[in-house]
Amino acid sequence: MELQQKNPLRDFAPQLERTSIQGYVWIVFLLAVIGLGFYAFLQQVFLGHEVTGMRDNVVWGVYIVNFIFFMGVSYAGALISGTLHLFKTAWRKPIIRMAEFITIIALLIGPCFILLCIGRLDKLHYLVLFGRIQSPITWDVIAITTDIFGCFIFLYLSLLRDLATLRDYELLQLPNWRKKLYKVLALGYTGTPEQQQRLNRATDIMAAMVISIAIIVYSVLAWIFSVTLQPGWHSTIFGPYFVIAAVYSGSAVLIVCMWVFRKVYHLEEYITKKHFVAVGLIMLVLAAFFGYFTFSDYLTKWYGSEKNDELLIQLLFKEFYWPFIISNYIGVLLPLLVVGIAKFRTISNITITSVVVIIALWLNRYIIVVPTLESPYLPIQDARPEWLNYSATWVEWSLTAAGVAIFCLLFTIASKFITIVPLSGSQGEEKKEDVLV
Amino acid sequence: MAIQPLNSFAEEKTDSAAAPAESRMALNYLCSTDSVNLSATLTIKRGDMTLALENAVVEFTASNGTTTTILGTAKTNQEGSALLSFPSALLPTDKDGMVSYMAKFTGNDKYPAAEATSSAKPAKIRLFFSIEDSLRILKVTATQKNEKGEDVAIPKETVLIYIPRLFSLLKIGEISLDETGTGTLEFPKEIVGDTLGNLVVIAKIEEHDKFGFVQGKNVINWGVHKQYYKAEVPSRELWTPIAPLWMIITLLVMLAGVWAHYMYAVYELVMIKRLSKKDKPLF
Repeated sequence: MELQQKNPLRDFAPQLERTSIQGYVWIVFLLAVIGLGFYAFLQQVFLGHEVTGMRDNVVWGVYIVNFIFFMGVSYAGALISGTLHLFKTAWRKPIIRMAEFITIIALLIGPCFILLCIGRLDKLHYLVLFGRIQSPITWDVIAITTDIFGCFIFLYLSLLRDLATLRDYELLQLPNWRKKLYKVLALGYTGTPEQQQRLNRATDIMAAMVISIAIIVYSVLAWIFSVTLQPGWHSTIFGPYFVIAAVYSGSAVLIVCMWVFRKVYHLEEYITKKHFVAVGLIMLVLAAFFGYFTFSDYLTKWYGSEKNDELLIQLLFKEFYWPFIISNYIGVLLPLLVVGIAKFRTISNITITSVVVIIALWLNRYIIVVPTLESPYLPIQDARPEWLNYSATWVEWSLTAAGVAIFCLLFTIASKFITIVPLSGSQGEEKKEDVLV
Repeated sequence: MAIQPLNSFAEEKTDSAAAPAESRMALNYLCSTDSVNLSATLTIKRGDMTLALENAVVEFTASNGTTTTILGTAKTNQEGSALLSFPSALLPTDKDGMVSYMAKFTGNDKYPAAEATSSAKPAKIRLFFSIEDSLRILKVTATQKNEKGEDVAIPKETVLIYIPRLFSLLKIGEISLDETGTGTLEFPKEIVGDTLGNLVVIAKIEEHDKFGFVQGKNVINWGVHKQYYKAEVPSRELWTPIAPLWMIITLLVMLAGVWAHYMYAVYELVMIKRLSKKDKPLF
């Protein structure tokens, strides 16, 4: 009720109406990074995959790691926003839209990285024309497509009330095209009881759907690895392990987004320490689960003493020592200490921890993908020594940076189009007084 | 097609690209029953990097010290190897029966010339199969030519017996030749052959000072018949014509369930739009 009295739309109007000099500098910087990525992409298109570190032996690298990472962040956004909505969590309002944006934006960027892995993009349509249901790759294509549609519908349903508010708020100084766009997108929603009832019903259903789809789709991604007999991948717990890792990384990304938007748009009044601690506690629980799954996975591999698993674990503790330590020790223990001990629970500490968790979870995906491909079952014959190990090139790093830049740019654009904190409530919470002057 | 070192991209990236190129040739010799097989491998060493040279013409010659016979030429392949086979009966031999072989690359503006030599005395290994007291016996004889051109035994040498498998030769035994150049081996029973049970058996004298590498080969149907696995029902393999029924049903049910809910949500949006016509703006 406090927010309603303060009229949040008046507070958010500057965010929607104009962009500061710093905002333009930020956008130009992002475009420059994207431009570098585009140049790297052209290099790859015209010179072939030879410009990447991927070779006959290690056929997947940073691209697939980014794909898994962004898809995980997306599913985490869907799970968090869907769960917060469905359980009508009291403190969800200032952060739920960020979770929804994370879902969609990461979902648009993730699959682009899998396309970068494909050598013959001109034959991409064969996947649809000649797709085989028994192939996990086909499952993934179907699952991701289904997920994209579901997440868009859920986001749109969540935005509908605010689109109507922005359409009807005459004091907003916006170009005519934007007002017309709000009018079209608002679908004539005026908040009548019947409209509210239908909207709430549809949103509740889609919230349940995005949660279940996120779990299934990320499990499908995990099964692409675990149905193979490769050491390190062939694990029955990979499905839930991937889901937990995804929500874990997504909660960290959400905290970083909360910190950034709180600073940039001065939302200290809306996004408080209470929200950081709440999401931080979610992250803490997920850290514990993630640590448990990781330990369980490696313990059984180590104790089983199967030759190739042993070789893989040796590789992880030698050549991949630091990535392994950061992802599986620091990435697990830091949230437990920082969020678990009450006196360490400051906004800055939780945010810094989240940054470490994001890096740790990215590295976690790296040490799942690359070391396994560097330790195949068959002895490698007639392979050049430089092909036996993977090392990412500037092309891959540039495209990775471009992916992150696109994520930031789309988030920036989205926050200019609609308020980053929902103006209206839902489930009957909304009243016209909520947004009226 | 131009002569080029393989992996030229990798070569250009190294500091050793500016170093002068040095051509190197290696010559391998194998004497089979009726012919000799020569294999010359040509590589370029530049700085620390060694690369195979492709499409280079290599000339093979044989000499007995007084007469030199050109055996032929061959182009190097991707691995830098040029292969040539020549009837052993036409080779020039010296008084001891030895033949000197030479492989020569004449070089060009970019790559210097290189050559390699090897000498060996032609020899033959023959394989015979028989069943004695229900035992399968492999008999091997090794012969060389004397100064009159007659076949005479190679005594007291060791012959290795192999069966070719997928990636390499499987050694199944060794035979020590007697004074008559003959030796026997009881053939193992449980080696898998092709669908008819055929096995290729190879007998070899390896790295001999005088004869070099000598090889004989024969085929016998003493192998276990190979049974190809044939799936009776479609399974998960990618090469099966259709997916398992349970998978198709599960997928269809799940997709139908999910998309039905999507349709319902879209239907509610359409209804919200229709309801708007009767109502006034939000404020």
